[in-house]
Amino acid sequence: MFTRITRTIRRDDDATVAAFMLAPAAVLFALFFLWPFVRGLWISLTRWDGFSAPVFVGAANYMKLLGDRLFLGALENNLIFVVLILLFKNVLGLGLAILLDRAIFMRGPIRAAVFIPVTLSFAATGLLWSWIYNPVFGLLNAALDGLGLSGLKMSWLGDADIALYSIIAVDVWKWLGFHAVIYLAGLQTIPDELYEAARIDGAGAVRRFRHVTLPLMMPVILINVILGLSGAFVRNFDIVQVLTQGGPNHATEVVMTYMVKTAFQDGNMGYASAMGYALFLIVALSCVALLGIMRRSKVEM
Amino acid sequence: MEKNTSVRHADPRSQPSFASRRWWKGLLAGRSVGELALVYGLLAIVLVETLYPLFWVLSGSLKTKEEVIANVWGLPSGFVWQNYAEAWRVSGMGARILNSVIVTATALALLLVVATPAAYSLSRLKFRGRNIILALIVAAMLIPPQVMAIPLFMTARDLGLVNSRIGIALIHAASNLPLSIFILRSFFLSLPAELEDAARIDGASRLQILGRVMLPLIRPGLALVTIFGFIEIWNDFFLAFLLLRDPALQTIPLGLVAFFQQYGSMWNLYFAALAMTTLPVIIVFVLMQKQFIAGLTAGAVKS
Repeated sequence: MFTRITRTIRRDDDATVAAFMLAPAAVLFALFFLWPFVRGLWISLTRWDGFSAPVFVGAANYMKLLGDRLFLGALENNLIFVVLILLFKNVLGLGLAILLDRAIFMRGPIRAAVFIPVTLSFAATGLLWSWIYNPVFGLLNAALDGLGLSGLKMSWLGDADIALYSIIAVDVWKWLGFHAVIYLAGLQTIPDELYEAARIDGAGAVRRFRHVTLPLMMPVILINVILGLSGAFVRNFDIVQVLTQGGPNHATEVVMTYMVKTAFQDGNMGYASAMGYALFLIVALSCVALLGIMRRSKVEM
Repeated sequence: MEKNTSVRHADPRSQPSFASRRWWKGLLAGRSVGELALVYGLLAIVLVETLYPLFWVLSGSLKTKEEVIANVWGLPSGFVWQNYAEAWRVSGMGARILNSVIVTATALALLLVVATPAAYSLSRLKFRGRNIILALIVAAMLIPPQVMAIPLFMTARDLGLVNSRIGIALIHAASNLPLSIFILRSFFLSLPAELEDAARIDGASRLQILGRVMLPLIRPGLALVTIFGFIEIWNDFFLAFLLLRDPALQTIPLGLVAFFQQYGSMWNLYFAALAMTTLPVIIVFVLMQKQFIAGLTAGAVKS
């Protein structure tokens, strides 16, 4: 009887306190997250230059996206970006983590060194690499000269066929250490005895990797891919803007850069908003699809 | 983290059957010389491609304009320290650094002050609607804020927050809020409930409990949120590009790019500007890397 009374009083008390404690977060969140999200949906259904009265056009902006050659090109670049980045960051990250795990001396300092690019801003990374790729005094072409491979020298950011891949390489360079550090932590949770047992059974390095490391690392790999997925879609504005601004001739355009151009150069807020939500829909669907694949492959394992 | 190594280290030597082996075999921790050569050879390649570009910036920042092009690889023939003074003057980096400090400090202070009580109430207090709020926060973590850049810009414009350092700090705090609340909440949940009950029996109010009992205990969580937030906000280019149009208010990343685009080919000055804005961050990271990496991996592997 008494406990019930005190409990109701407590709960009452809790609700009041919680309201006060949550209020600042709620205001901030509602103003700069919820409201823009809802408002953007509305904007995406209008034709609007940002100043005059918006005109409701229904789904016309979304229909227009389907026939917009530039948008579809940007989307294709975006998908290439996502697939290659997820592939290289995870394969190379796991590879580097295995090297670090097998190293005995200087492991800490090496791990810290490969993590340094993660702490740099995309602006700094982009400027650094625009010099490395510079055709006149850039490090990359100079390195190829030094190795006697002058035939491979290229205009890394000026050639429409390779500029996108040059940008992807920069993104992988920047994040490699991040993924390696996380994979290393995962590797170190695998008990040594398992490797020992596999070795006694006569398994070579490749089979130990295939049958011990890979299955046990699967959860960490999946977390890495899921965490990287939405970022790979939307966190490419900075690097593209700094390195090529989407050029040459839209060869490196991604959805984010095209969206910003549409909004602030062409003054077409409704159409630009629709791009944002179309991208969001694609990200969400990819996440769901990936989770589905993961769940199925888990059952098989 | 280093436990595995020591186990591998100790094993061969502690067993009598290995006693006849030469002493340095123990140092190799069960690896063959060939394997170690391969491992360190590959690691050396990774280190070179990671660190040499940074070293290249540093050495380029001390060369003359002509030497940057004539001598791509090597060390500078003489140290041209006035590159730094010149770059500082021409690029106006002093003002940009100040802007970055104001934006980042305001946003982080706001983020911690707002997220901590919210995370506390979502982990410790019982009230109706708690699960709905939690679901909303998780949903928000899955929505990349970049996709709503246009409405965010419009909202900021309506509120008079374009070209305002406080304005962009507010938006940074808001977009980091869901993840920060989520992280802090998991730290609050890991604390034993008895602590709080004891303090309540002593007559402490919720706010006193949060401030005096809980805050000191979740310091690692606060550090983690601060580190994540710092990297995100200090390095941000996208939001600043959208919201800080006035050159006088630009942060470091915008300033670097603007400097690069404005002046012809003063490569040595660009190198100097890049070196002086990124080196402090790298030094802070190297000094704090233990805590930094520990916090990062704890979060990633646990989840």
